[in-house]
Amino acid sequence: MTTTNAPLPTYQAKDYKSELKPIWCPGCGDFGVVQAIYRALAAIGRPPHEIAFVSGIGCSSRIPGYTTAYGFNSVHGRALPIAQGIKVASPELLVLVAGGDGDGFSIGGGHVAHAVRRNTDITYIVMDNQIYGLTKGQLSPTSPKGLHTVTSEYGSLEEAVNPLLYVLAYGANFVAQGTPADMAGLAEVIEAAIRFPGFSFVNVQSPCVTFGEDDQQVKNHRATMQSLAKLGHDPTDRLAAMGLAQKYGKELHTGVFYKNPDPPPTMNALIKERQQVLSEKAPPRSRIFDRFLQT
Amino acid sequence: MGMAGSGGDGIVSAGESLISAAAYEGYHAMMTKSFGSQVRGGESSCRVRLSTARVQNPGGTLDVAIALNWEDFLKFGAELPVSGDTVVIYDSKTGVEPGQIPLVGVTPKEVFAVPIGEMARRAAGTDKAKNSVVLGLIAGWFGIAPGSIVRGLNKKFAKKGPELLAANERAFHLGEEFAKEHPLATPRAMAPPTSSGSKMLTDGNDMCAAAAILAGCEFFGGYPITPSTEIMQFFTREVWKYGGAVVQAEDEIASIGAALGASFAGKKAMTATSGPGMALKTEILGLATIAELPLVIVNVQRGGPSTGLPTKPEQSDLFQAAFSASGDVLRPILAPTSVADTVDVTVEAFNIAEHYQTPVILLSDQEIAQRKETVDPIDTSRFTFIERKRPTAVDLQSYARFRMTEDGISPISHPGMKGGNYQGAGIEHNEQGNPTASGKVHAAMNAKRFRKLAPLQRRRDLFRIDGDPDAPFALVSWGSIAGVCREAYLRATAEGLAVKLLVPWLVYPVAEEIYREFFGSVRAGLVVEASHQGQLYRILRMYVDVPRGVTSFARDGANPIQPGDVVERLRAAALALQSPPSAQQIACEE
Amino acid sequence: MTDKTRSIDLANISLRDALDLAVLVEEEAKDRYEEFADQMELHHNPEAARFFRFMLAIEAKHESRLAERRRGLFGDEPRSVKREMIFDIEAPEYDEVRANMTVRQALGASLQAETKAFEFFEAAAGMVQMKDVQDIFTELREEEREHQALVRQEIARLPPEGPARDDDDEIVAL
Ligand SMILES: Cc1ncc(C[n+]2csc(CCOP(=O)(O)OP(=O)(O)O)c2C)c(N)n1
Ligand code: SF4
Repeated sequence: MTTTNAPLPTYQAKDYKSELKPIWCPGCGDFGVVQAIYRALAAIGRPPHEIAFVSGIGCSSRIPGYTTAYGFNSVHGRALPIAQGIKVASPELLVLVAGGDGDGFSIGGGHVAHAVRRNTDITYIVMDNQIYGLTKGQLSPTSPKGLHTVTSEYGSLEEAVNPLLYVLAYGANFVAQGTPADMAGLAEVIEAAIRFPGFSFVNVQSPCVTFGEDDQQVKNHRATMQSLAKLGHDPTDRLAAMGLAQKYGKELHTGVFYKNPDPPPTMNALIKERQQVLSEKAPPRSRIFDRFLQT
Repeated sequence: MGMAGSGGDGIVSAGESLISAAAYEGYHAMMTKSFGSQVRGGESSCRVRLSTARVQNPGGTLDVAIALNWEDFLKFGAELPVSGDTVVIYDSKTGVEPGQIPLVGVTPKEVFAVPIGEMARRAAGTDKAKNSVVLGLIAGWFGIAPGSIVRGLNKKFAKKGPELLAANERAFHLGEEFAKEHPLATPRAMAPPTSSGSKMLTDGNDMCAAAAILAGCEFFGGYPITPSTEIMQFFTREVWKYGGAVVQAEDEIASIGAALGASFAGKKAMTATSGPGMALKTEILGLATIAELPLVIVNVQRGGPSTGLPTKPEQSDLFQAAFSASGDVLRPILAPTSVADTVDVTVEAFNIAEHYQTPVILLSDQEIAQRKETVDPIDTSRFTFIERKRPTAVDLQSYARFRMTEDGISPISHPGMKGGNYQGAGIEHNEQGNPTASGKVHAAMNAKRFRKLAPLQRRRDLFRIDGDPDAPFALVSWGSIAGVCREAYLRATAEGLAVKLLVPWLVYPVAEEIYREFFGSVRAGLVVEASHQGQLYRILRMYVDVPRGVTSFARDGANPIQPGDVVERLRAAALALQSPPSAQQIACEE
Repeated sequence: MTDKTRSIDLANISLRDALDLAVLVEEEAKDRYEEFADQMELHHNPEAARFFRFMLAIEAKHESRLAERRRGLFGDEPRSVKREMIFDIEAPEYDEVRANMTVRQALGASLQAETKAFEFFEAAAGMVQMKDVQDIFTELREEEREHQALVRQEIARLPPEGPARDDDDEIVAL
């Protein structure tokens, strides 16, 4: 009698775990995120060397180093442009991008819309802790209005960015949210995001135990999170997704907000198509200068 | 005094208690800290230097070394150098015998294994009181400020309850008693302070932000980056009180953009960052130059390139500050050399920015920015604050924003000023501010933008020159390393070497005349700085005939330069003068 | 509890798969304790590290006992239950630890984990159809109960301790 119904993976989660010991603060949400990534990668089964994992700067951006994939811990806010370059240059790679909310929605915020628009087949995971971890607890773009931090002694005056709504509004074809409070669910959305053909975005509510708010820790997530699937949300309905995304910061929804049932071609596909069409009529390389001949 | 332990040992807070007690008593003091890269609970260390005279730098070899455990102590390597004369104190819990301490190549004469943890538990029931025991040991052996330390403990634990206070006091006294029961073979008590009266205890970042507000800065645009963030943090606490505002922008481009906007609107404005953020600001810096808008940009240098050594000092962004620009740009660069003079230099930066309508880069570094130092109370009445030249009613009748003037400075209007309307832009413009592609106008405007800064190069008050003007030997140094050179200069002079010292606050443009004069008598010397390339040395050689015997002594950041190193090289350079010229290169470490 | 496993049909699980599941549960807990011990060492908390290494040894022993039993009954038959299918059944959650935690708090974290495992096996025992599998799950549940008692005992033996370490002044930034 077989009691399991999943295809057996060729790689195990531990094959994606590097020797490097994370220096995150014990209890940091990012520990759960990296575990979920190991699992998602194992389920997909691509060998580590076929994976490029790009990040910016921040606590969360240390994540590629804790995997056995090719990692690129780049500069603050510029992971997406670098990742897109990698994907366009080597379409066969599985490209992951990760970083913090500051990295992604503050300094790198301008790049997100364009990454969505370009629609390369990459997966962007933001570890959203509503604070700047690495630089010791300053305001982040996702910090709730009124938050007291070392750069907002009297409370912040700005509204928080809503990453889910932003990315949906930019036109992304796959948008999901997870939390390390639900490891199975987190691994599942990351896996689904990676499998999705095109730009995919996963916002992970990954608490900072050192500078984060007491009521924003994993324990609270466990008590308050609501699964979108259980709520009966139809992930093919973009408008419904946007409606739910409005609750960002007030309610913690987990799962897939939106997944385009009919995904448009990726940039790589379009590039390939163009390459094919044009190469048919192209002269050989050796004749490249012929066009300059005056005939 | 150097101490190391792991996060939670509270070794840094012991250092802080000590230095604050010393400052209260009127000692001069300086403290630097160093950490592992874990956000929490890593290894940590601090160096405290106390003196009855001004402290110029964190010092070299330790007089006292305190190790709560050896593994952590050794991680700090050259930052905590021990010699045979160092009094070594460590927790006997480490199990190491006094004769077997793991320091390679040195055998300190006085070594004490002290049951620090055990005493803490005995006094307070917890290891957490170890730092109070350490303070007691220091007070006991070296006679440093016992009364003020206890007073400090009282303040520190006031909020935490009487029990905790009593426990820490007990721990302190146990330490003190231990020291008295085990006297040093060679007693080394600190002399009482010469000047009484409490001093300020502060760091360069706080001084920079406070001085900016003093100078009238009403807008700060920032983006967090170590080691500059405390400047923004200070602003977010204080600037509102003076009618100003802070924007923590989404990145460095936006933060300098917002600050430049505030300046366009007529306010004194500032932004602060470190090397990587500076790179992002480059384009808008160019805009500030051509739009002739006052702006102060602080770069608290750290080790680079890129993320580099973000918690360590280096002076390797000078080329970036001077040369990263599109087009012909001359922007003033000022560098403070201590926590105290950060105030003067910051005020000066605003004055120059406002007077010359130019971006000014304030090139600080991690050490000055983050070390704690005693500073004598500041009499703010000694400062003058310069405001940008506004158009008069007559000017406004036919206003030309970039009017050609003899000194290159044109009265500047701002939105809200009737008749002063103009288009600020990055495109080349004529006197009215209208776009032009005329080569003739471009040349004239470039000339104007350079001409207006010429007087700056004659500002002798932006240089500190000491020693006999005819001395054949010279030291030149800038930023935090200047303090090291100042001590080296004093020591070399005491040894009888005829040496003089030049320390610029104005690092760029190079004040050619001042250097020419300084180098006139010089036959040998050193330009001392913390970078790999010796960036100031190379820039000086672009503009000045640096005498052949003056070489670069440059060491990569995070590899401390000690006054002794400088004196030694200076001596070698002096000797080389008497031997064949090839030996002169000995003094060059590039 | 369904969120603790994925792709495992607990109600119809075979004895072999149940044993494999039990081995993996212990392995997962063991690995987690090892990570925690490493984290504590990196953050200079040797007391908590020592406790986590102690738990690691207990879980390792438990794991090898179960593995032996599985080998005795089913030899080298391939496993169809994989690590990727279980989620923190007996492993304490990542957010249970802190850099400056006390030994008492560390014990608290593992008490929670043992309680969690107890609840899992209890629910599983209630679900399964086959008697021999039910016996295994009941037995595992009882072992978790013993572990809980062991940890409680350790907690009772601890000397009273002060508040957690306060190393606020030693946070580093980049
Ligand atoms: C150009 C530049 N500006 C600023 C920094 C300093 N810096 C490093 S990480 C960071 C933000 C950290 O917050 P986030 O991106 O949310 O990540 P977390 O640490 O919370 O995971 C900042 C401002 C930098 N490294 N480079
Ligand atoms: S500071 Fe916050 S985000 Fe950074 S490692 Fe620590 S807990 Fe995680």
